[in-house]
Amino acid sequence: MKKAWRGLGFAAIALTLVLQMACGSSNSNGGGNAAGESAQASSENGGKKVKLKFWDFHTEKEEQFFRDLVDEYNKSQNEVEIEYSTYDQTNYTSTKLPTGFASGDGPDIYMISPGDFMKFANSGLMADLTPYFPEGAKEDFLPASLDAVTVDGKILALPYELELLGLYYNEDMLKNAGVEVPKTWDELYDAAKKLTTNKVAGLVLPPDKGAYFNFVWYPFLWQQGGNVLSEDGTKSTFNTPEAAKALDFWGSFFRDGLSPTKLQQGPTEIDNLGSQGAAMQVAGTWAITRAEEVFGDVPINVAPLPIPEGGKAATDAGGWKFAVNGKSEHVEEAAKFVMWAFADDPARALKWCTEIKFAYSPRQSVVEQGEAIYNKGMRKVFTEEIYDSAIPEPRYPSEVLDVVGEAIQNVMFGKYDGAQAVQEADGKINEALQAASN
Amino acid sequence: MAIRPSPSRLEGGSTVAPRRISARTRNEWFTAYGFLLPNIIGLFVFVFLPILYAFYASLHDWNALSPKVFAGLDNYRKLLHDDEWWSSLKITLLFSVVYVPLLYFLSLLSALLMNALRGWTTGLTRTLFLLPFAITSVISAIIGMFMLDPRNGIINSLLGLAGIGPQQFLGSTSQAMYSVIGVILWINVGYNMIIFLSAIKEIPRDYYEAASMDGATGWKSFRYLTLPLLSETSTFILIVTTIGSFQALDQILVMTQGGPANSTEVSVLYIYKQGFQFLNMGYASSLAIALFVIIFCLSLFQLKLFSRKQG
Repeated sequence: MKKAWRGLGFAAIALTLVLQMACGSSNSNGGGNAAGESAQASSENGGKKVKLKFWDFHTEKEEQFFRDLVDEYNKSQNEVEIEYSTYDQTNYTSTKLPTGFASGDGPDIYMISPGDFMKFANSGLMADLTPYFPEGAKEDFLPASLDAVTVDGKILALPYELELLGLYYNEDMLKNAGVEVPKTWDELYDAAKKLTTNKVAGLVLPPDKGAYFNFVWYPFLWQQGGNVLSEDGTKSTFNTPEAAKALDFWGSFFRDGLSPTKLQQGPTEIDNLGSQGAAMQVAGTWAITRAEEVFGDVPINVAPLPIPEGGKAATDAGGWKFAVNGKSEHVEEAAKFVMWAFADDPARALKWCTEIKFAYSPRQSVVEQGEAIYNKGMRKVFTEEIYDSAIPEPRYPSEVLDVVGEAIQNVMFGKYDGAQAVQEADGKINEALQAASN
Repeated sequence: MAIRPSPSRLEGGSTVAPRRISARTRNEWFTAYGFLLPNIIGLFVFVFLPILYAFYASLHDWNALSPKVFAGLDNYRKLLHDDEWWSSLKITLLFSVVYVPLLYFLSLLSALLMNALRGWTTGLTRTLFLLPFAITSVISAIIGMFMLDPRNGIINSLLGLAGIGPQQFLGSTSQAMYSVIGVILWINVGYNMIIFLSAIKEIPRDYYEAASMDGATGWKSFRYLTLPLLSETSTFILIVTTIGSFQALDQILVMTQGGPANSTEVSVLYIYKQGFQFLNMGYASSLAIALFVIIFCLSLFQLKLFSRKQG
């Protein structure tokens, strides 16, 4: 019976969420206004402060950084007061943001991932930030990082971190097995094969479907010059030998038992190497801090992702972006805060990217100022050997993401070979593009 | 064959003289409803209205971020041709067909064995069985995952002792579904066992004494005495478990997220994906309504089947 109640409980919660959306959208016509309305009411009341809501998903050190940032901003002026709330990441993307916007109670300022970007952009929930950039700030950003958030010539979000992928490895394990740090695909495969034992996985790649799964796979496609979609993002370019080859290569690690199909530690966590349960792992810049602070006694190092014969280096640059609710009554005030935080004084961006976590700033001035830190230990490898090959994570709709993920899994688990998988996925991607644009 | 009430029964029903409702009865009636009212309101607001609303939403094209656009039956037409939906239904059915009978027999069997236990160990054993259920289901699922881990899991260590090589379990397209079923069984058997056990304890001792005097012991007394007397409990457990099996989500979401290669993507998980990953709220609602209709018909059918058996 408990099970039935649990089921009922879930149904009730899910349906309640749906109900709340209903109430919201019917009186605010699409959502997002209520926050602004209430804020306006108070601002009309004789110079009172405008209240802005800012939501994200950070915890611990990172949460504290944003709390301090908001406090500092609130104290620095007396027109705007920002209220900061943070949620756990899964809830934030799958329920909190959609229900918030749908019920008209959404934030004025929020963070968005590439996977959700287009859906929010098409719904008018991302204001054009182009006019709010401080003098000369736009030129400071890497062009590619701004291209990744530009739609129809409008910059719809502010990138504030770039997280790059590299190949982490355990120096001792490689040395003991007589393996050089792999530079090519063949070397990577051979190394994984030699390093795999009963207790140690040769190479850790993410096995479960999701945004991160695709994120790690894309470089293998890009290194050969392939891509999922055409330049303008309207058509699939998936049915190519490059995509098939990337699928086959990735799949071979799983089919040959060199990469676990199920992980005990999360696929993003350097703990896979730290616990000595794996010899190599593809992971991002975020792993450095933990590798140094928690696993200082494990000889972890990092190298660029290996490339195929005749290919060129490529890695993925992920990272969340700051957005301003396009339906807020106070776009300008909200945009001012966002710019103040990450497009103005480089000190704040530098603190975020070097002290709170390790990531690259999309701003040249910040990277220059932090030169000392960007050249410390493993960071130097990223700075000197990986940074230049970074391609920003594409903002494909989640339907497309799902089809690509399915193709990767179909090859990993031996349902198809690469050529069959790309052929099957090609049509589905076009269908998904159509479904997503409706 | 329809079972009609016999005339005598009908008469019996209608010959009861309409009694005057006493003030006391009326008072009790008011009190009862007074206490039930908050719950009824809660049910209405949080369950029935949302169901109606989900139906309304299912007739629209709606991504939760933009206004709804009326789409008539488009969503329902779409689901007819949605391969992933049909495959998710097939997986749900497989889950249900394997899980429900296994749960039924395992809980009945363990209740019978538990009933035979005497002494101080009884309570301890019972607790051990119930423990996985007493923990939050998500945590139980995570513990299940640890046990099934291909490299460090205890199950593979045990298999190793028996000379069987390590299995991939949740990381294999052919084993994942059965591994999930195993973990969910492990979580739920204890609870259903307790229900059976309490029903078994309700059966008066003298029945068995009388039966044994007539020469029915062991299997016979179980087949002709225990089992029939447990039929109401059985019906309850089977129906509730079947409904539950169609709604299984949390543990599967934690253990496999529907993978690998969609091999454990049950219908509710697909609905979740359409609703909260793709934000296709209108389409997800139409899938939820379709699933609701399926569960509803199935439960009705089960109820008919069992009540006819008992009648």
